[in-house]
Parts: sequence; C-alpha cells; structure tokens
Amino acid sequence: MNRTLLIAHREFMAYARTVGFWLSLLAFPLFGALGGAIPIMMKHAEPARTVALVQAAPAGSGLAEAVRQSLENEQARGDISALRMAAIPEAGVAGGDRVRQVAETEGYQAGIAALKREAPRAGASFKAPRPNLTLVAPPAELVSAAPGEAQDAMARRYLGDDALEGEKLSAVVFLTDANGQPGARVWTARATDDAVEDAIRDALKDANRRQVFAAGGIDPAVVEQTDRFRPDMAVFSPKARSGGEVSFRDKLPTVVGLAVGFILWSLIITGASILLNSVMEEKSNKILEVLLSSASATEILTGKVLGVALLTLTVLFAWGGLGGIGLIAAAPDVARDIGSVLMSNGLLIYFLLFMVGGYLMYAVLFAAIGAFCETPRDAQTLMGPIMMVLVAPLLVMQMAIRTPDATVVKVMSLIPPFTPFVMAARAPSGPPLIEIVGALIGMFLFAALMVWVAGRAFRAGALSDVKLNWKSFIGAVRGGG
Amino acid sequence: MVAALTLDRISKRYGGFQAVSDLSFEVEKGTICGFLGPNGAGKTSTLRMILGLQSATSGQIEILGADDGRKVRDRIGFLPEERGLYKKMTPVDAIAFFGGLKGVPASEGRKRAREMLTQMGLGDAQKKKMKELSKGMAQKVQLIASVVHRPEFVILDEPFSGLDPMNQQGLEAMIRALAADGATVLFSTHVMQHAERLCDKVVLLARGKKAFEGTVDQARATSPRFLELEGALDVAAVAALPGVSGVEVLNIHDGACTLRAGLTPGAGGQEALKSAFLSGLDVRRFQIKEPTLHDAFIALTGDHPDEDQSIARDALKAEAAR
Repeated sequence: MNRTLLIAHREFMAYARTVGFWLSLLAFPLFGALGGAIPIMMKHAEPARTVALVQAAPAGSGLAEAVRQSLENEQARGDISALRMAAIPEAGVAGGDRVRQVAETEGYQAGIAALKREAPRAGASFKAPRPNLTLVAPPAELVSAAPGEAQDAMARRYLGDDALEGEKLSAVVFLTDANGQPGARVWTARATDDAVEDAIRDALKDANRRQVFAAGGIDPAVVEQTDRFRPDMAVFSPKARSGGEVSFRDKLPTVVGLAVGFILWSLIITGASILLNSVMEEKSNKILEVLLSSASATEILTGKVLGVALLTLTVLFAWGGLGGIGLIAAAPDVARDIGSVLMSNGLLIYFLLFMVGGYLMYAVLFAAIGAFCETPRDAQTLMGPIMMVLVAPLLVMQMAIRTPDATVVKVMSLIPPFTPFVMAARAPSGPPLIEIVGALIGMFLFAALMVWVAGRAFRAGALSDVKLNWKSFIGAVRGGG
Repeated sequence: MVAALTLDRISKRYGGFQAVSDLSFEVEKGTICGFLGPNGAGKTSTLRMILGLQSATSGQIEILGADDGRKVRDRIGFLPEERGLYKKMTPVDAIAFFGGLKGVPASEGRKRAREMLTQMGLGDAQKKKMKELSKGMAQKVQLIASVVHRPEFVILDEPFSGLDPMNQQGLEAMIRALAADGATVLFSTHVMQHAERLCDKVVLLARGKKAFEGTVDQARATSPRFLELEGALDVAAVAALPGVSGVEVLNIHDGACTLRAGLTPGAGGQEALKSAFLSGLDVRRFQIKEPTLHDAFIALTGDHPDEDQSIARDALKAEAAR
C-alpha cells in the first residue's frame, strides 16, 4: 500500500473505529424515523376524550345541535384529508385530489372506494383516523342541576378522579347563547389539555357563522356548498414536461436541486471540519513532523483528504441508502420521480462533480489552516471570516428555486467558492450548458489553485510555531516553508 | 571511511535571522555522531535540512548518496525533538503504521513491532492505547517506530530529554546496538555526558556556527586540566600558584572550601601542588581532573551548553519574520 493510501486508511479507520461515528451515522436516520413516527404514535396512543355538551339557557336555541354538527363535520373533513394523504405516496398529488373530490361529493364510503381504485395498496390497509372527541349524552342530574354553582359542582364530580368508572368524563361544555352570541364554559379533567377548548371554539365560530347567514336569509345548504367549494385550477407553462400543464414532477427538479445544494454544503463543511480537527490534533500531538519525515506534504495532504472523503461518502451512502429505501417503501412514485430527476440532463454527474470540486477546495484549505493550529481557538482567526462567507450561498440557494435566472444567483453560481452549492441548486432549472461547464471549469481551476496554496501552507504550518493570522498564512504560502 | 552524511557550507536564514551559518561536517558510515549545542543553537534546523523538511538557504547536503533527504527517506529513521503518536492507537498499530510509511509490509511491521516492544520491556503494553502509557514508555515506542524499518541512517533529535536515568541507559544501549548493526547514528543533545559515553565523533554548535568537529578526546584536549583542592584555603593564594589560570569556589562548608583551579595549557598540576604544600596551604585533599566535554564546550564556544539560546534566538526569528 503506498503512503497516500496508508494515510487515507488510517484517517478513515481512526474515525470509523469510534463508537461516536456509528452512533452519529445511525442517529440521523433513527431520529428522522422517530421524528415522523412519534407524532403518529402519540396520536394513536392519545385516548379519545368523552365530552358532554350541556345546553344552558336559553333552552331550545339549537346551539348544542349546531355545535355537534360542526364537530362531526370537522371529523369528516379530517377523515377525507386522511384519505387524500393515504393516496398521495402511491397515486401522487393528483390522485390524492381525485380521492378527496369523490369523498367530498359522494361521501366517505365512496372516497374509500376511490382510494382503493387510485392506490390499491394504501386502500387495502387504510384505517380511518380515530376521533379526538367522542360526544356523549350528558348525565341527567347534570342537565337538571341549577345553573351556576350547582352545575359546576356536578361537573367537578364527573371530571374528578373519584367519578365512577363508566361515568367519568374528559370535559363538560356548558353552551350559552346570550343575546345571540354563542359562548361556552368548558370544564376539563386536565387543566393543561386544550384540545376540547380548541375544538369547541372552532365549532362555536362555525355555529355563529351559520346563525348569522341564516339570520341573513341564506340557506345553510348553500353555506355548506360554498365551504366545500374548491376552485378547479391548472397551471400551464411552455417549460412543463408536457409542454402545457405544470405538474408536481415539473416542480420536483428545483426542490431536488435545493436539497442537493444544502446536502452538499453540509457534507463538504462537515468533511472539511473533520479534516481541520484531525490535522490540529496531529499538530498538537507533534505527529505532523514525524509524518513529514516519512511522506511528502502532498502525500500526507492527499491521504488525509482522501480518508475523510471516504468517511464522508460512507455517511452519504448510508444516509442516502436508508433514506432511499424509506422513500421507496413509503412513496414509490415520489422516489421514482426523484430518481428520474437525478438521471435527467446529467444532473447526477454535475452533482458528483460539484461535490468533488467543493470538497477539494474546502478540505485542503481547512487542512492547511489546521497545520498552523493546536487548538480550535487558534483556528478561529481564519475560520470566523470563512464561515461568514460560507453563509452567503445558503441564502442565495433559496432564491434559486423561484428565480434561478436572477442576476445575483447567476453571479454567485459562477464564483468558484460558491459554485458547488449555488450551481447545484440552479442546475435542475436548466441554465445554459455553457454556464454549467464554465462554472465547473472555474471551480476545478480554483480547486487546483487551492491545492497548490494549501500544500505550501500545510508544509510550512506543520513545522512552524508561528501564531496563525492572515499575514502569517499568506507569508507561509509565499515562502512555502 | 565512507561518509554517510556530508554538509558543505550549509546556511539557513529566516528573513533577517541567521539560524545556521556556513556549517560543514561529515559523518562516517556505521559511526555514532553527537551533534551538540545549547537549545536554540540551530541543531533542529540543521537536522530538518538534512531530512529535507526545510531547504537550506545555501550550501550542499549529501546523505546516503542523495542530494536531498527526501529522496532516501525510506532509508532514514527520524525521532523528532517534540514527540507524539496517535493517542488512540496501540503501540503495535502505531509502529506498524510508521513502518508502513517507510515501506515495511503491515504484517511484517506488526511482527517487528511485537519483537522490539518485548526487547524494550514493553511486551505487556502491546495492546494498551498510547494514551495509557507513561511518557518514558511512549518515548520508547516512538523510538521503535523510527527504526522499525531498519534504517541505514538514524537521526535522533534530543532523544534523552524527558527520560529518567534508567530509560536513558536503555536508550544508550539501543543507540549502541543500532551502530553495531551497521546503522549510522546522528543525535543531537545539549547534555554532554551522553555524547561522552556514546559518540565516535562530536560536532559542537553554538549560535548557528560550528565550534568543533572531532572525537571526544580531541574535544577534551582543547580544554585545560583542573586541580581540585579542599581545605581551609585562601582563594587568592591558590590563584597565585604556578600554572593556575583561574579559581572557582565549588562549595564552602565548616570553614573548609572546595576550589577548582583551572590550569594553563600544558600545565600538569604537579608544580602547583608542590608550591601549595611548600607554602603551607591547608590542603586536606587534592585531585587533578581531566576536562570533560562540558568543559571543552565552554572553552571552545564561551557558551554554557545548558543555557537556553532558543529564547533570544526565537525572539530574533520572530522579529525577522515580521
């Protein structure tokens, strides 16, 4: 094994053998999965709240019925939304919208049938979401109790820990309709639980709206129909794949570009920072001089850059692989679309080139800085301004989604230190080929310059005790040790 | 004898600061050469130039037939002054890694590492991590790492610093063994006793310039002998004895003192002693002492080998860099 590979191997193994590396490798997908699963698990684990609605004076106003109707409508909307969401991974956004439309116009059961047609696998396993609230008939003694303190005392009894099994309530809602203004006093078993409060507030707003419309002579059926209305819109663009209507697939490349830009930024900066710390550790442990007596500065630098690159690629492949498997399992259509975006117009090759060039630029620079430093504080002088500059592409990348041809985005994508990130975000929107190729050439020329500069600085820094600042760094580059 | 190393009028300048001036010397194959001088005298700069880690401002270096140490780095072993190994590695892994950089296959490197660690009394520490070893043990491991590839030329920069007397003895034995196996050893030190015991040849360096090159005996011969006297003695009376060039009080205890009288070149000391007894000086004990390498260094350079020249020279170097 030659020296460069030996140094790369040691560098890789130094991290790969640590428990911390494997923990961080697995932590991201694990927390990602938990982040998605925990809210669902919590939702499933949450007990349905038993709520009793009590119509306070004036009796016969129909408020309780209106609130009940509103709560049931809300539940139905949730069920339809769940049908749509279940359809999307398999049938895409358009399929999900079709299922929703059927459910809204023809009813929930028709929606389930539509789901089975549009997304057979999702349809077979679909379960309606559990309701948040279950309305129960209020106990007779609660209804007959005198309004005020007697009713409140009774509510306390049914909500308290001493309530009999089967009689215990989660909330008691006293509905009032004073002066035509719907209102409520909500008693809940847990003071911190605001689920009932929120649901009743929305239901009262809805009830009030209906009352107001009814008072204005508008048929409730018209109100309901108006609520249900969704404009039938379509967006067209000559740049759409179909040549006309814009689909989710047309928007996907820019989303992928932005995501790749951010991922490249994180990977490159993480890799370069690992290298900075590794070189700093060798400098502080007095290993660099021994290494320099055994291998050239170029071999050491190349070996270390290669070793950390392998480490970074391991993380990328592990996360990418797990993410890909998860996406294929959960949303095969979206996964297929993302795959086709990456494979179209040479995007994957561009992304790989941006990653190589970007990593090379920053890795060698950070390694050279590390060669002058024994502690992170030593590196602060140079790293502070560099990191501030590195924030700029993060801001510009977001602009690239809506306006990939904006002057600032164009210019930034052609400045070599920013090319790997900004051009990665811009490339999927189809900029002129000459700009992509030009940016790539500029980036690799700049990377070659950085390798030369960093090689000289690395060699000088490794044997130097000089305190790091811009002057000493530039002096080292000019002197070359 | 064939020279393994030749330095021909080497100079090193950092900006306006002259670290090494017009330095020339040779080291013959299979010998042990001590490169002596106080801290900051320019030893490390010279060793780095020999290794090719730094370029000389002027002059020529030839090592093992090459004009650049980097061309023959696989045939050279180097122990730097500031030592360190990867803290999380085991000694066997660390030695095999550095052996690998010098072209020793991994399995062979590990085998040699185990053998050498056992020979050096570190058999039990093979599987420990470097951070768990004592400083002396880590230093032995690093020394093994620098010679695991069986180099023809070994450069050791201040190899004895930080070692306790027991480990210093062990290191001396190892250096002798390297030379006995045919390797050429060049080691720098500011402690003259090691050089006195080990070296076939010494090169004395002071303020970047060569002060002497030759054998230890030749170096000693450049310094006068000493007459050590003990008793209730008057310093002025001793200084007035024939052949005495100067007197140094070594200690005073219970009215008696120990004096060290330097003798003029060529003086044997007998005449001074005879005169002392004849004049009735209270001499209770006397000894004629041969000069040490330490004495020779002072005589040759006017500097003290234990004084630290690095502080003043580093300040000058930093000033030059500015």
